Amino acid sequence: MANSADRHSAHSRSAPGASGRGRAAGPTGLIFFPAFDWAISPTHPEREERLLYTRDQIFEEGLLDLPQLAEYRPRLADHHDIARAHFCVPSIEAQSTEAHRIAAGSTLVLVDALEKADIANGFALVRPPGHHAMRVVHGNRGFCNINNMAVMVEYLRTVYGHRRIAIVDTDVHHGDGTQDIYWNDPDVLFISFHQDGRTLYPGSGFVEEMGGPNALGRTINIPLPPETPDEGIHFVLDELVLPVLADFAPELVLNSAGQDNHFTDPLANMCFSAQGYAHLNEKLRPDLCVLEGGYAVETALPYVNTAIIQAMAGLDYSHVIEPDWAPDKFTLKPSVKRGLESVVSQLLGIWRQREPMVEAARAKLGDHYRRQRMVFYDTDMIEEHQEELVRLCRECPGFITLSTRAEQAYNPLPSAFCVSVPIQACPRCAREAAAVYQEHKVAQKHDYVLLQDRLRDRHLRFHSATQEEMEY
Amino acid sequence: MSEHRAQGATGDGRMLIGIDVGGTTTDAVLIDGRRVVSEAAVATAPHNLAGSVLRALDCILESIRPTQVQRIVLSTTVITNLLAENKAEPVGLILLPGPGANPSDYGLPPAHIVHGAVDYRGREIAPLDEAGVRAAGAALRAEGLSRVAVVGKFCQRNPQHERSAKALLLEESPDAVVECGHMVSARLNFPRRVATTLLTLATRDHYGEYAREMSRALRERGLCAPIFVLKADGGTLPLDYSLRTPVETIFSGPAASTMGAVALAPPGESFVMLDVGGTTTDLALVLDGQPLLASKGARVHDLLTHVRSFAVKSVPVGGDSAVRAHEGVLTVGPDRMGPPACLGGPFPTPTDALRVLGAIDLGNAEAARSAMAEVAVALGTGPEGASRRVVDALASTIAGEVETMFAHWRDEPVYRIWEVLREEHARPALLVGVGGGAPSLAPAAASLLGMKCLVPEHAAVANALGAALSRPTMALTLSMDTSQGTWVAEEDGRGGRLEDLRLSLAGAEHMALEMLAARAEEAGIGSYAGDALVTHSEVFNMVRGYSTIGRLLDVTVEIPAGILNDWSAAHGE
Repeated sequence: MANSADRHSAHSRSAPGASGRGRAAGPTGLIFFPAFDWAISPTHPEREERLLYTRDQIFEEGLLDLPQLAEYRPRLADHHDIARAHFCVPSIEAQSTEAHRIAAGSTLVLVDALEKADIANGFALVRPPGHHAMRVVHGNRGFCNINNMAVMVEYLRTVYGHRRIAIVDTDVHHGDGTQDIYWNDPDVLFISFHQDGRTLYPGSGFVEEMGGPNALGRTINIPLPPETPDEGIHFVLDELVLPVLADFAPELVLNSAGQDNHFTDPLANMCFSAQGYAHLNEKLRPDLCVLEGGYAVETALPYVNTAIIQAMAGLDYSHVIEPDWAPDKFTLKPSVKRGLESVVSQLLGIWRQREPMVEAARAKLGDHYRRQRMVFYDTDMIEEHQEELVRLCRECPGFITLSTRAEQAYNPLPSAFCVSVPIQACPRCAREAAAVYQEHKVAQKHDYVLLQDRLRDRHLRFHSATQEEMEY
Repeated sequence: MSEHRAQGATGDGRMLIGIDVGGTTTDAVLIDGRRVVSEAAVATAPHNLAGSVLRALDCILESIRPTQVQRIVLSTTVITNLLAENKAEPVGLILLPGPGANPSDYGLPPAHIVHGAVDYRGREIAPLDEAGVRAAGAALRAEGLSRVAVVGKFCQRNPQHERSAKALLLEESPDAVVECGHMVSARLNFPRRVATTLLTLATRDHYGEYAREMSRALRERGLCAPIFVLKADGGTLPLDYSLRTPVETIFSGPAASTMGAVALAPPGESFVMLDVGGTTTDLALVLDGQPLLASKGARVHDLLTHVRSFAVKSVPVGGDSAVRAHEGVLTVGPDRMGPPACLGGPFPTPTDALRVLGAIDLGNAEAARSAMAEVAVALGTGPEGASRRVVDALASTIAGEVETMFAHWRDEPVYRIWEVLREEHARPALLVGVGGGAPSLAPAAASLLGMKCLVPEHAAVANALGAALSRPTMALTLSMDTSQGTWVAEEDGRGGRLEDLRLSLAGAEHMALEMLAARAEEAGIGSYAGDALVTHSEVFNMVRGYSTIGRLLDVTVEIPAGILNDWSAAHGE
């Protein structure tokens, strides 16, 4: 097959993590953007206070004075940058506040610095977070509107020509938004470990969620039982995540660095520590990290962020110990260990079988894959109904069309028909996608018709009522 | 070297004196409040600063009675010299770092680490290891160290551990001098607080000697006016009060020049200050008449500190920099081989180039010409052509540094949405040149930068003028935690229980201003407290489990740097 999934590109790097990938020369780039003047609502977990004590700790530590770190000023992401990642309904302007654009823009500043080799790696310690924002955005889901990680990935691919990228989501919640955006993309490996979806928002992220037919196995979900401690997470990392990364050989490893696996997090039930997070970062050696969740604003975030920054910069993090933590505080129960062993062996099996699985799915499905689903936006209480059609092309990952209708408190929201052309699109898919977009402009069945052409980096929005088309 | 020019007193007899003791020259001015009465420059004797000051004073005091002088401001290099000559006193260091970075990663001198910690809200998270403090004290005593700095992480949020440690140390050795971090600086950044505390202790005794010597010398001249010193942030402080943290007086030279440029430039103007000296050229940014402060403190001899300072960039080139040409390649500085050839020095310098070009009238023209002739041969041109190239090279170095300074200013990190969105401050279009080399070099640099150029009258003594005319500065940070019911006035460690837990931000600002006024009164600068501004205030609701349990209020008030009112009024629009 001509699919680029297993082709090692010129950018390909030596195996990550445990296999001995060294840290590049240069400082660690940091953008600290606590958005001290932005909140979802005054008492919401995603409020002004969230990174206050983190600021106090990292400023008091004097970390930013060290030559191992370089602090950068954030910038606004353009609507164009967001259009590569999302279909915002009714518009990008309506779905992204300035805070969202600054959080997303911060990742782009770090990408530029990394590509210029000014930094060895980078951490966007920013809010608001993004990993629950899906391909289509009608409102806020799980505190997220704009997926900072996806905006960054598309920027890396469009502006800097990267192809194979791995995203490791270490937030306690399943990174369902990022998963959705890369579901059909065989060149982006998405790995998420999180507290079991049967016990925590968003209620997804099971082993069986493995990616679209053309990208089977490139979505890896690792549900963890509640109260999994450092040892359990490191078991999964060593036995599954690092070997799979070594096998995939991505050009870049990116980390959605949520911090709510911490033993004090008020919204989850895990037993991870600052030391556990820092050690994880040291093994994973991500090129770029983006903060996601983490709501133990006093007991976790100051310590976890300090330790992660130190780990990225190659500094000693062993002195970062939470006041109420001790080495023997949490132990891995044998029953939990057995559960993890079983999940790991199941997922390794899937990973090894990914190519035959793709072939089998294609043989069974033919030219198209169609799915219908409902997406719930908890923060904004929106119910969205989607019908997705993926062209199963043998030359490229295939273009996608989506029909989306949503309602909020029984009031219909604007509908949209969305056409997404992958960056790897073959000429035929690009041509057909353009034709479908034109047909739907005439059809007048949706309020908006949106085109996301990643191949040409051209993103259009057509408003049926006014017949106006604009380019982002 | 001694230059002196008197214009005669015209005012009401309220005379001000400003003296800037630089590395090469000591400049002095006498001002009647509205205009310069006389100015002088004498060579600095590095090992007799008081003598240099007196010689400069004698030049400017000819035409008046000493009793007419109302205020004397000194800007001196005494701290710089102390540190450069390794005369700083040895200081023992005891740290209470708590959880966080490995203390050895901070790049600080060796320290005794003692267990005990408070967190970001000033709550004790580990009790002070009193036996550890005693052991560290005994070890320091054994090393013969009688000065001890005790600094804890987040001690500014709760100074109790530092205070207890100090008491324990004094109990064991009553003659020791112990300084606590919370008394030196309250800004976040533990390693910088450690460095600032160390430097405070290391320089205080010598500085005290210098201050006493200086007071005595001035009194002997019949000058009984209050004596002030200039700080790196362009503010003045009574000499006695400066004994608390003498390290704040470091880098007062560039601050003096910057304030002088502010006094001499049109009021409220935005500009780049360019001070061309003998071996260094200082650059500073003035926005709407207010010099830009460095967002963090000054770097003092490889130590990053909390010393508030203007954002000054020092470039190691100046009028005395050595000029070399080799196989067509020209270099200017960074070293100085002596005075310019036109003043009998051994080496060609930019000053000689300017002399050849007729831009200045200083020293021996023939000596300048023959020095530049050697450079001209290596460059394959004549003395005029070589001189032009030297001036261009210097101007382009300066222009490059101005561009870098603009870039740093633009790229300062910010933490709030409005700060990202605010329109960029228009880049200043004016270059104000001060210092001896300014008349000839500033226009060349300005033209490369596409900026207008102003070299005001009295530019050569702008530094002394800036010292004479600068107002006092003082800052105070008040932090309150309504859920714990506590307040701490940072920088002096006072604190207590909050009476009103529903205090508004405006109420907190009012409280901070009152405390600053009291502290200013105590320092003898109470009359300036009315100028105090709130420069930073933030309030965060603390929410636990979806309900608000209290607020954190943080207010910084300051009496900002500025020029004395009489002068501003006389030179305003």
